[in-house]
Amino acid sequence: MASVPSSSSSSPSQPKTRKKPGQNSSPAPPPQTKWRTGTQERLYSRRLVDALRATRDRTQVQESVGSRAVKEAADSALALTARGQSRWSRAILFGRNSCRRKLLVKAGGKIRRHRRKQHGVPPVAAVAAEPGVLKEQKVKERLRKLGRLVPGCRKLPAATLLEEAADYVAALELQVRTMRALADALSAAAVSAPEEEETKAVDPMAIAEQGS
Amino acid sequence: MSSRRSRSRRSSNSSRITEEQIVELVSKLQDLLPEARSRSSERVSASRVLQDTCNYIRDLQQEVDDLSERLADMLASTEMTSAQAAIIRSLLM
Repeated sequence: MASVPSSSSSSPSQPKTRKKPGQNSSPAPPPQTKWRTGTQERLYSRRLVDALRATRDRTQVQESVGSRAVKEAADSALALTARGQSRWSRAILFGRNSCRRKLLVKAGGKIRRHRRKQHGVPPVAAVAAEPGVLKEQKVKERLRKLGRLVPGCRKLPAATLLEEAADYVAALELQVRTMRALADALSAAAVSAPEEEETKAVDPMAIAEQGS
Repeated sequence: MSSRRSRSRRSSNSSRITEEQIVELVSKLQDLLPEARSRSSERVSASRVLQDTCNYIRDLQQEVDDLSERLADMLASTEMTSAQAAIIRSLLM
Protein backbone atom coordinates (compact mmCIF):
# COMPACT_ATOMS: atom_id res chain seq x y z
CA MET A 1 0.00 0.00 0.00
CA ALA A 2 2.81 2.41 0.83
CA SER A 3 4.12 3.29 -2.60
CA VAL A 4 7.19 5.48 -2.47
CA PRO A 5 7.55 7.73 -5.49
CA SER A 6 10.89 7.49 -7.27
CA SER A 7 13.23 10.08 -5.95
CA SER A 8 15.73 9.90 -8.80
CA SER A 9 16.49 13.17 -10.47
CA SER A 10 15.53 11.80 -13.89
CA SER A 11 11.84 11.74 -13.10
CA PRO A 12 10.70 15.21 -14.01
CA SER A 13 7.15 15.23 -12.76
CA GLN A 14 5.71 15.01 -9.30
CA PRO A 15 3.86 11.82 -8.41
CA LYS A 16 0.39 11.86 -9.90
CA THR A 17 -2.16 13.75 -7.89
CA ARG A 18 -4.00 11.13 -5.92
CA LYS A 19 -7.47 12.44 -5.24
CA LYS A 20 -8.80 11.74 -1.80
CA PRO A 21 -11.72 9.30 -1.96
CA GLY A 22 -14.99 11.15 -1.52
CA GLN A 23 -15.65 10.48 2.14
CA ASN A 24 -18.51 12.75 3.06
CA SER A 25 -19.71 10.47 5.83
CA SER A 26 -16.49 10.28 7.87
CA PRO A 27 -15.31 13.38 9.70
CA ALA A 28 -11.73 13.34 8.45
CA PRO A 29 -9.88 11.41 5.76
CA PRO A 30 -7.67 8.61 7.10
CA PRO A 31 -4.03 9.55 7.54
CA GLN A 32 -2.65 7.53 4.68
CA THR A 33 -4.78 9.20 2.04
CA LYS A 34 -4.69 12.59 3.67
CA TRP A 35 -0.93 12.84 3.66
CA ARG A 36 -0.26 11.25 0.33
CA THR A 37 -2.10 13.45 -2.12
CA GLY A 38 -0.01 15.24 -4.68
CA THR A 39 -1.38 18.52 -3.34
CA GLN A 40 0.00 17.86 0.11
CA GLU A 41 3.37 16.98 -1.34
CA ARG A 42 3.56 20.13 -3.38
CA LEU A 43 2.32 22.20 -0.46
CA TYR A 44 4.86 20.76 1.87
CA SER A 45 7.78 20.98 -0.52
CA ARG A 46 6.95 24.58 -1.20
CA ARG A 47 6.79 25.35 2.51
CA LEU A 48 9.96 23.43 3.12
CA VAL A 49 11.91 25.39 0.57
CA ASP A 50 10.59 28.65 1.98
CA ALA A 51 11.54 27.66 5.48
CA LEU A 52 14.98 26.50 4.44
CA ARG A 53 15.61 29.70 2.58
CA ALA A 54 14.54 31.78 5.56
CA THR A 55 16.78 29.71 7.78
CA ARG A 56 19.71 30.21 5.49
CA ASP A 57 19.10 33.93 5.28
CA ARG A 58 18.94 34.22 9.05
CA THR A 59 22.28 32.49 9.51
CA GLN A 60 25.34 34.68 9.96
CA VAL A 61 27.81 34.91 7.14
CA GLN A 62 30.57 33.02 8.94
CA GLU A 63 28.40 30.19 10.28
CA SER A 64 27.00 27.46 8.17
CA VAL A 65 23.41 26.36 8.39
CA GLY A 66 23.23 23.78 11.19
CA SER A 67 21.42 20.53 10.73
CA ARG A 68 19.26 21.22 13.74
CA ALA A 69 18.07 24.47 12.18
CA VAL A 70 17.17 22.57 9.03
CA LYS A 71 15.28 19.96 11.02
CA GLU A 72 13.37 22.59 12.96
CA ALA A 73 12.49 24.39 9.76
CA ALA A 74 11.31 21.13 8.23
CA ASP A 75 9.24 20.28 11.30
CA SER A 76 7.65 23.71 11.38
CA ALA A 77 6.85 23.48 7.70
CA LEU A 78 5.30 20.08 8.29
CA ALA A 79 3.24 21.33 11.21
CA LEU A 80 2.02 24.25 9.10
CA THR A 81 0.95 21.90 6.36
CA ALA A 82 -1.16 20.10 8.92
CA ARG A 83 -3.08 23.36 9.35
CA GLY A 84 -3.09 22.97 13.09
CA GLN A 85 -5.70 20.26 12.93
CA SER A 86 -3.73 17.84 15.03
CA ARG A 87 -2.33 18.21 18.51
CA TRP A 88 1.22 17.36 17.55
CA SER A 89 1.28 20.07 14.91
CA ARG A 90 0.02 22.65 17.37
CA ALA A 91 2.59 21.52 19.89
CA ILE A 92 5.39 22.01 17.36
CA LEU A 93 4.19 25.44 16.30
CA PHE A 94 3.50 26.71 19.80
CA GLY A 95 6.72 25.27 21.06
CA ARG A 96 8.68 27.63 18.82
CA ASN A 97 6.98 30.69 20.22
CA SER A 98 8.08 31.02 23.82
CA CYS A 99 5.40 33.45 25.02
CA ARG A 100 2.65 31.17 23.79
CA ARG A 101 3.94 28.50 26.08
CA LYS A 102 3.01 30.63 29.07
CA LEU A 103 -0.54 30.77 27.79
CA LEU A 104 -0.67 27.03 27.36
CA VAL A 105 0.77 26.39 30.80
CA LYS A 106 -1.85 28.65 32.31
CA ALA A 107 -4.59 26.72 30.58
CA GLY A 108 -2.94 23.48 31.59
CA GLY A 109 -2.86 24.60 35.21
CA LYS A 110 -6.58 25.18 35.17
CA ILE A 111 -7.24 21.81 33.67
CA ARG A 112 -5.03 20.05 36.16
CA ARG A 113 -7.07 21.52 38.97
CA HIS A 114 -10.20 19.92 37.54
CA ARG A 115 -8.48 16.58 37.26
CA ARG A 116 -7.42 16.62 40.88
CA LYS A 117 -11.00 17.14 41.92
CA GLN A 118 -12.04 14.10 39.96
CA HIS A 119 -9.34 12.06 41.66
CA GLY A 120 -11.77 11.53 44.52
CA VAL A 121 -13.53 8.95 42.37
CA PRO A 122 -12.49 5.45 43.50
CA PRO A 123 -9.94 3.94 41.12
CA VAL A 124 -11.91 0.71 40.82
CA ALA A 125 -14.57 2.40 38.74
CA ALA A 126 -11.93 3.88 36.42
CA VAL A 127 -10.28 0.53 35.80
CA ALA A 128 -13.57 -1.19 35.11
CA ALA A 129 -14.40 1.43 32.47
CA GLU A 130 -11.29 0.70 30.41
CA PRO A 131 -11.51 -1.72 27.54
CA GLY A 132 -9.85 -5.08 27.98
CA VAL A 133 -6.72 -4.56 25.94
CA LEU A 134 -5.78 -1.39 27.79
CA LYS A 135 -5.59 -3.09 31.17
CA GLU A 136 -2.43 -4.97 30.23
CA GLN A 137 0.71 -3.54 31.69
CA LYS A 138 2.67 -3.98 28.47
CA VAL A 139 0.17 -1.98 26.47
CA LYS A 140 0.16 0.78 29.05
CA GLU A 141 3.94 1.04 28.97
CA ARG A 142 4.04 1.17 25.20
CA LEU A 143 1.32 3.78 25.11
CA ARG A 144 3.38 5.89 27.44
CA LYS A 145 6.43 5.46 25.22
CA LEU A 146 4.38 6.50 22.23
CA GLY A 147 3.16 9.55 24.07
CA ARG A 148 6.72 10.63 24.62
CA LEU A 149 7.62 10.28 20.94
CA VAL A 150 4.75 12.27 19.47
CA PRO A 151 5.16 15.94 20.29
CA GLY A 152 2.60 17.37 22.65
CA CYS A 153 0.89 14.09 23.43
CA ARG A 154 2.25 12.98 26.74
CA LYS A 155 -0.93 12.99 28.74
CA LEU A 156 -3.59 12.15 26.23
CA PRO A 157 -6.16 9.39 26.65
CA ALA A 158 -5.42 6.28 24.65
CA ALA A 159 -7.85 6.80 21.79
CA THR A 160 -6.70 10.34 21.09
CA LEU A 161 -3.07 9.33 21.35
CA LEU A 162 -3.59 6.58 18.78
CA GLU A 163 -5.22 9.00 16.38
CA GLU A 164 -2.45 11.54 16.80
CA ALA A 165 0.18 8.86 16.33
CA ALA A 166 -1.39 7.67 13.09
CA ASP A 167 -1.51 11.20 11.71
CA TYR A 168 2.04 11.87 12.88
CA VAL A 169 3.41 8.74 11.22
CA ALA A 170 1.82 9.62 7.90
CA ALA A 171 3.11 13.18 8.13
CA LEU A 172 6.62 12.00 8.98
CA GLU A 173 6.57 9.77 5.93
CA LEU A 174 5.72 12.79 3.81
CA GLN A 175 8.51 14.74 5.41
CA VAL A 176 11.07 12.03 4.75
CA ARG A 177 9.92 11.56 1.17
CA THR A 178 10.09 15.26 0.39
CA MET A 179 13.40 15.91 2.08
CA ARG A 180 14.98 12.92 0.43
CA ALA A 181 13.73 13.99 -2.98
CA LEU A 182 15.08 17.48 -2.47
CA ALA A 183 18.44 16.25 -1.18
CA ASP A 184 18.79 13.70 -3.95
CA ALA A 185 17.96 16.25 -6.60
CA LEU A 186 20.49 18.71 -5.24
CA SER A 187 23.27 16.18 -4.87
CA ALA A 188 22.60 14.50 -8.20
CA ALA A 189 22.87 17.83 -9.93
CA ALA A 190 26.08 18.59 -8.10
CA VAL A 191 27.60 15.30 -9.21
CA SER A 192 26.38 15.18 -12.78
CA ALA A 193 27.54 18.59 -13.90
CA PRO A 194 31.18 19.00 -12.95
CA GLU A 195 32.25 20.73 -16.16
CA GLU A 196 29.64 23.39 -15.92
CA GLU A 197 31.47 25.41 -13.30
CA GLU A 198 29.33 28.46 -13.64
CA THR A 199 30.80 31.91 -13.53
CA LYS A 200 27.62 33.36 -12.22
CA ALA A 201 26.63 32.04 -8.82
CA VAL A 202 23.02 31.08 -8.82
CA ASP A 203 21.28 30.98 -5.47
CA PRO A 204 19.50 27.62 -5.22
CA MET A 205 16.77 28.88 -2.95
CA ALA A 206 16.05 31.88 -5.14
CA ILE A 207 15.57 29.63 -8.13
CA ALA A 208 13.34 27.35 -6.13
CA GLU A 209 11.32 30.32 -4.97
CA GLN A 210 10.89 31.68 -8.49
CA GLY A 211 10.25 28.33 -10.05
CA SER A 212 7.38 27.24 -7.78
CA MET B 1 -9.45 22.98 25.89
CA SER B 2 -10.95 22.55 29.36
CA SER B 3 -14.33 21.64 27.89
CA ARG B 4 -12.68 18.87 25.88
CA ARG B 5 -11.05 17.52 29.02
CA SER B 6 -14.29 17.44 31.01
CA ARG B 7 -16.00 15.76 28.11
CA SER B 8 -13.52 12.92 28.16
CA ARG B 9 -13.94 12.66 31.92
CA ARG B 10 -17.66 12.19 31.45
CA SER B 11 -17.15 9.71 28.68
CA SER B 12 -15.00 7.48 30.83
CA ASN B 13 -17.96 7.09 33.19
CA SER B 14 -20.97 6.89 30.89
CA SER B 15 -20.29 6.35 27.17
CA ARG B 16 -16.82 4.99 27.76
CA ILE B 17 -14.26 4.49 25.09
CA THR B 18 -15.23 1.10 23.79
CA GLU B 19 -12.90 -1.76 23.16
CA GLU B 20 -14.03 -1.71 19.55
CA GLN B 21 -12.93 1.88 19.11
CA ILE B 22 -9.51 1.14 20.46
CA VAL B 23 -9.14 -1.97 18.36
CA GLU B 24 -10.14 -0.08 15.27
CA LEU B 25 -7.64 2.70 15.95
CA VAL B 26 -4.92 0.17 16.56
CA SER B 27 -5.64 -1.60 13.30
CA LYS B 28 -5.64 1.73 11.48
CA LEU B 29 -2.23 2.37 12.94
CA GLN B 30 -1.14 -1.09 11.94
CA ASP B 31 -2.09 -0.40 8.34
CA LEU B 32 0.22 2.58 8.28
CA LEU B 33 3.23 0.62 9.34
CA PRO B 34 5.58 -0.80 6.73
CA GLU B 35 5.04 -4.28 8.16
CA ALA B 36 1.47 -4.05 6.94
CA ARG B 37 2.63 -4.96 3.48
CA SER B 38 3.74 -8.44 4.49
CA ARG B 39 1.19 -9.02 7.21
CA SER B 40 -1.87 -7.75 5.38
CA SER B 41 -4.99 -8.80 7.24
CA GLU B 42 -3.72 -10.87 10.12
CA ARG B 43 -4.45 -9.10 13.37
CA VAL B 44 -1.42 -8.48 15.51
CA SER B 45 -1.52 -7.87 19.24
CA ALA B 46 -1.98 -4.26 20.29
CA SER B 47 1.26 -4.17 22.22
CA ARG B 48 3.14 -5.39 19.16
CA VAL B 49 1.59 -2.69 16.99
CA LEU B 50 2.48 -0.05 19.53
CA GLN B 51 6.00 -1.33 19.74
CA ASP B 52 6.36 -1.32 15.97
CA THR B 53 4.89 2.16 15.83
CA CYS B 54 7.37 3.48 18.37
CA ASN B 55 10.24 1.94 16.44
CA TYR B 56 8.95 3.26 13.16
CA ILE B 57 8.51 6.79 14.47
CA ARG B 58 11.98 6.70 15.90
CA ASP B 59 13.39 5.46 12.59
CA LEU B 60 11.58 8.18 10.68
CA GLN B 61 12.81 10.85 13.02
CA GLN B 62 16.32 9.55 12.65
CA GLU B 63 15.99 9.72 8.88
CA VAL B 64 14.79 13.29 9.17
CA ASP B 65 17.87 14.11 11.22
CA ASP B 66 20.18 12.53 8.65
CA LEU B 67 18.46 14.28 5.77
CA SER B 68 18.63 17.54 7.67
CA GLU B 69 22.36 17.13 7.88
CA ARG B 70 22.63 16.47 4.18
CA LEU B 71 20.49 19.44 3.33
CA ALA B 72 22.38 21.67 5.72
CA ASP B 73 25.64 20.80 4.00
CA MET B 74 24.19 21.48 0.60
CA LEU B 75 22.55 24.73 1.61
CA ALA B 76 25.93 26.00 2.68
CA SER B 77 27.00 26.23 -0.92
CA THR B 78 25.54 29.21 -2.67
CA GLU B 79 26.78 28.37 -6.12
CA MET B 80 24.75 26.22 -8.34
CA THR B 81 24.74 25.12 -11.91
CA SER B 82 21.88 25.74 -14.21
CA ALA B 83 21.21 22.02 -14.27
CA GLN B 84 20.56 22.04 -10.56
CA ALA B 85 18.26 25.00 -10.95
CA ALA B 86 16.27 23.18 -13.63
CA ILE B 87 15.95 20.13 -11.47
CA ILE B 88 14.73 22.05 -8.47
CA ARG B 89 12.22 23.84 -10.62
CA SER B 90 10.87 20.61 -12.03
CA LEU B 91 10.76 19.02 -8.62
CA LEU B 92 8.55 21.73 -7.26
CA MET B 93 6.08 21.96 -10.12
